[in-house]
Amino acid sequence: MGLAKYVIRRLLYMIPLILGISIVVFLVMYAAGDPIQIATAGNPSITEAQRQFLREYYGLNDPIPVQYVRWLDHFLHFDFGKSLYGGKPVNEIISIYFWETLKLQLVSILLAFAISIPIGVYSAVKQRSWFDYIFSGISIAGVSFPVFFLGIIFILVFSYQLGWLPSAGAHGAPQLWPVFGIQNPFLDELAHLAMPATVLTLAGLAYNTRLLRAGMLEVLRQDYIMAARASGIPERKILLKYALKNAIMPLITLLGMSIGFAIAGAPATETVFSWPGLGRAYVTAASRLDFPLIMGITMIITIMILVANLITDISYAAIDPRISID
Amino acid sequence: MDLLQVNDLKTYFFTEAGVVKAVDGITFNVEKGCTVGLVGESGSGKSVTAQSVLRIVPRPGKIIGGKIFFNGEDILSKKEDEMRSYRGKKISLIFQDPTSSLNPVFTIGSQLTEIVSQHKGVKKSDAAEEVIKALSLVRLPDPEEALNRYPHQFSGGMKQRICIARALLLNPELLFADEPTTNLDVTIQAQIINLLMELQKNIGLTLVMITHDMGIVTQMCKCVVVLYAGNVMEIGSIEQIFQMPHPYTEALLKAVPRLDQTRKLVSIPGNIPNLINPPSGCRFHPRCQYAIDRCKDEIPPLIDVGDGHMISCHRWRELNGG
Ligand SMILES: Nc1ncnc2c1ncn2[C@@H]1O[C@H](COP(=O)(O)OP(=O)(O)OP(=O)(O)O)[C@@H](O)[C@H]1O
Ligand code: SF4
Ligand SMILES: [Mg+2]
Repeated sequence: MGLAKYVIRRLLYMIPLILGISIVVFLVMYAAGDPIQIATAGNPSITEAQRQFLREYYGLNDPIPVQYVRWLDHFLHFDFGKSLYGGKPVNEIISIYFWETLKLQLVSILLAFAISIPIGVYSAVKQRSWFDYIFSGISIAGVSFPVFFLGIIFILVFSYQLGWLPSAGAHGAPQLWPVFGIQNPFLDELAHLAMPATVLTLAGLAYNTRLLRAGMLEVLRQDYIMAARASGIPERKILLKYALKNAIMPLITLLGMSIGFAIAGAPATETVFSWPGLGRAYVTAASRLDFPLIMGITMIITIMILVANLITDISYAAIDPRISID
Repeated sequence: MDLLQVNDLKTYFFTEAGVVKAVDGITFNVEKGCTVGLVGESGSGKSVTAQSVLRIVPRPGKIIGGKIFFNGEDILSKKEDEMRSYRGKKISLIFQDPTSSLNPVFTIGSQLTEIVSQHKGVKKSDAAEEVIKALSLVRLPDPEEALNRYPHQFSGGMKQRICIARALLLNPELLFADEPTTNLDVTIQAQIINLLMELQKNIGLTLVMITHDMGIVTQMCKCVVVLYAGNVMEIGSIEQIFQMPHPYTEALLKAVPRLDQTRKLVSIPGNIPNLINPPSGCRFHPRCQYAIDRCKDEIPPLIDVGDGHMISCHRWRELNGG
């Protein structure tokens, strides 16, 4: 009962937020300029009459409130309209990019989460050992290093020098990428995923590891850890069960938030690897003032972040009995 | 017969600021079936002594010297695995703050049954039986139901009962109670003290009561060990330490609990010494009203001044009319 009610209440709270964000983005977008002007700027043969026709066609001449209500009406029917470029339905564009971004991000986030656990725990347990110093160094570098730069190095080394991995895209075009001489759609996807996922994993790993290491150091000082030792519980169980479950809390929050923000994509990384993802599409849409696409992607990102926050809060309450959802 | 013998124990913390000589040559014995008080101001090394006996001194601490005999066995030379089988089973420890000594994210049942299964290798249901028995022993209401609850669902006093039950789960021979009432309300304090005294009598427990509170000491203990800055100042029966106390014990007995602070802060003029560079000679000399030049230069040995009354002071004999 409690959980369902809580979820419903949180979902209701999202409505004004989503509306508010859509209005703000809508207004900012219109203040930014005329998309038809931008779209046709490169074409000297186009006439003002033709431009006017295009504005009329996309409904850009109506008063802004009218346009907004029309947009909202479509949105409530799960329709984001058509892109100003190529006229493809925004829903279709998003559904392609969404999965590519989600795939790349989920793989990276989960890898970073999983790998950071042994490293974070071991660094805390062996505090001030060479292992700790080396990984702390890598983490600090990883946090402060712009990841897309690493992406460029990867492409230079693994694509151009060694020719092992494809440098762009998410799928083999025009043909499947051979992995150890085998051409298989799944291996092809893996080959395309390898570099961008590694770059994003490294970026996340650095932060996760630091967070977990700090959490473990804090938890290992607590009396309940000494109490477990005083009761004859083996050290391995103390670390991996009693300490870890407490120390992993901040990481769970981070995990939830990063899955939410993941849909915003990683524009820099997606651009470096020409990844057909939402992040890159968003940047492109913004630079061309492709109104329907901007609005569509904004809404998807907003909803994903809000839902991910909700899931984070619920999982937090599930792990920590002191936190109750209400 | 002495259940526990601690001989010239030295436990240091190797911190970045320097070597903290938290326990620096402590010697005392605990007779089987007795309640011994371990007293001294904050930072005198009481907790570290208990942690040393269990060999759970946290990093960067290390036992660097001395001997500890438990039932005549040298426990410092035991392998870690064997030592682990002593913890909780032969020697237990309860802490000052019951709230922080229970893991907040596991149920009482899972924390306590784990200990039973760890030592006895029994089934979960059998382990739960024993946990319920221990919880009843400390008179926790509704012990069956308590198994499924989390620490934060209990009051401080109840949590301390749970901690006592945890320490007594496997019928240990020796229990260290490290200021088990300092963090509780006054009325609850009395209940916990009574519970400990009753358990000690009924199950023939040997109890080392760590405390600042001389009231608790007189109520519970037959024998007292007084620590100061990692050294033993005095060991004696209640009568001995009240009638002819060491100068430090005398100051402790006279010190008034400061009511504006928590109860545990007893004030003796002067500051607790820095244990990285402890005072030379008698460690108490900078604060001792009887100190003479000799106290600065010469470490007073711990000697038997009669009937097992041990004193570490150059002037005690002279001050006590001998
Ligand atoms: N983990 C640690 N790291 C560094 N120093 C420590 C550590 N634990 C204890 N010490 C030092 O050892 C000394 C003795 O500490 P201990 O905890 O035994 O005092 P105590 O007599 O139990 O005091 P209290 O009444 O405050 O509990 C203190 O000076 C303390 O600073
Ligand atoms: S040895 Fe000296 S300083 Fe120490 S307690 Fe005795 S009189 Fe005081
Ligand atoms: Mg202490």
